Amino acid sequence: MRQRLRIANLKVPKHAAAVSLHGVSKRYRNLLAVHDLTLEVTPGEILGFLGPNGAGKTSTIRVLLDLIRPTTGQAFIFGHDCQASGIEARALAGYLPGEMGVYSDMAGREVLDLLGGLTRQPVRKQYQCELQERLELKEADLRRKLREYSTGMKRKLGLMQALQAEPPLLILDEPTDGLDPLMQEAFYELLQEARGKGQTVFMSSHVLSEVERICDRIALLRGGELALLSTVAEVRKLAPRRITVVFREDVTAAPTLPGGHKVVGVSPRCWQLEVEGALGNLVSILSSLPVEDIQIEQPRLEDVLVKYYGGGPK
Amino acid sequence: MRDLWWLLGYSLRRVRSLVLAVGLLLGGFQLVLIAVANSLQGSDAFGQLENLVPPFARELMGPSVTAMLSFQGIVCLGYYHLAVMGSLVALSISLATMPTSEVETGFIDLILARPLARHWIITRSILVVVLCTAGPVVLMMAGTWIGLGTLVRAGVAWPSAKLILSLVANLGLLLLCWGGIAMAIGSVSRRRGVAGGLAGFAALATFLLDYVGRIWRPVESVAWLSPFRYYSPSDLVMGNPLPRSNLWALAGTAVAGYALAYLLFSRRDISR
Repeated sequence: MRQRLRIANLKVPKHAAAVSLHGVSKRYRNLLAVHDLTLEVTPGEILGFLGPNGAGKTSTIRVLLDLIRPTTGQAFIFGHDCQASGIEARALAGYLPGEMGVYSDMAGREVLDLLGGLTRQPVRKQYQCELQERLELKEADLRRKLREYSTGMKRKLGLMQALQAEPPLLILDEPTDGLDPLMQEAFYELLQEARGKGQTVFMSSHVLSEVERICDRIALLRGGELALLSTVAEVRKLAPRRITVVFREDVTAAPTLPGGHKVVGVSPRCWQLEVEGALGNLVSILSSLPVEDIQIEQPRLEDVLVKYYGGGPK
Repeated sequence: MRDLWWLLGYSLRRVRSLVLAVGLLLGGFQLVLIAVANSLQGSDAFGQLENLVPPFARELMGPSVTAMLSFQGIVCLGYYHLAVMGSLVALSISLATMPTSEVETGFIDLILARPLARHWIITRSILVVVLCTAGPVVLMMAGTWIGLGTLVRAGVAWPSAKLILSLVANLGLLLLCWGGIAMAIGSVSRRRGVAGGLAGFAALATFLLDYVGRIWRPVESVAWLSPFRYYSPSDLVMGNPLPRSNLWALAGTAVAGYALAYLLFSRRDISR
């Protein structure tokens, strides 16, 4: 059964997008970090916010949190203007920064208590303990000073402070950076559960496999502009499928293939192809050949996104 | 408001050791000064000390020499000694640049990502400056009364409560004034070192300006720019009343500094 989101103390307007950006631009002197960004995140979805370094992801996140002011445009969280009604907007969000800026002489517990005390929604002790257990942060660890924390432990503490108040929107900047594979798994589970409870996740990441696995949609920024906004399934379709055809006997004729088919490698007993779109044409060509096996690799999100990272299609 | 008190409690906990250490040190210094003053009084050495002051210096300092080289003057020295003033101004600047430090470390990102208005950060910092500069000054005052009550032989005339309170009020406002200046500078800075350094440099420069202005006429015309001009302990020790204009000048500068800090901090981009 779908768990209900704990939003009793918070004003979450119905039918409002969880995150809404309208023509947001941010200029730092001569640098245009974000340019005319328009984007909506539906409540309950996990949106992967991607882009190469310096693409404007962190600037966008900071506009949402009113840490920086947009040069033009408006940003909203659940319908609350992030600048004009920033307090109402931020009351609905939990935030994990890319780098946890904390004082090294503070204890982990002190950080959690301080930040937990500044949220509108009281932190449920039971949920906090559950998070602590799942992220493997023992009470003894939380009593230690942060100077003794490893990068991974600081990340786990960052996740705890972002998640502990169960906000309707989670804004996470490279959340798994520094986490070991087991903790990454634990984090993915937590995100799935958050989605199950109706929470929305807006996360930036460079780990494409993670985005492919947990995100519903992706938005890719390049040079401050939105270069791609689509569901993960749709993006995957943009990638050509890799097909390996193995023959029972030598095939000497060169492959003559229709458009959308690309020959990657040819040997008498094996063809390696990349096919965009439907496979119908290929099947009819192969029907006259002594085919022993056909291996079809599922397209990977990475194959499409890497092109965007490298300055490919727009 | 609850958020403000929450944040204030955390900030006070962070600085309590420093403030307590400074307060105890300066309070202890008061006791030492009183012990010295008592010893000089006992050996009737104030007259001899005055004779040791070269004539040119006596001319420069005017009648305040006699006032300073007295039991009262030595007891009150703790409120205007260069080391005491320097450490208190440094403390005030350090506390006032707390928001800059939070911007520099990125801690402010975590705080302001919560439903907290930016002006609470400045309000919290002003309260920290007020409470944490008042703390050491109160401990100094306590040191003075404890020292006078326990170390001074009978029959010696104590400095009046009015004199001590005037010195405390004047010194307290001077510290708040430097807190305001430092906070205004810090509100547009990304590095605490830069903000603190600039405010510290300004304090040193204006201290010298005031000092030179007292002994060299050409500089006197601009010496009014120095907040130290409005802290006149020697006049107070000589028995003159605390000029209200001094208090207004210091309080006005402090208020202007804090108001500027509110304005600048609310408009700035928070980025490291």
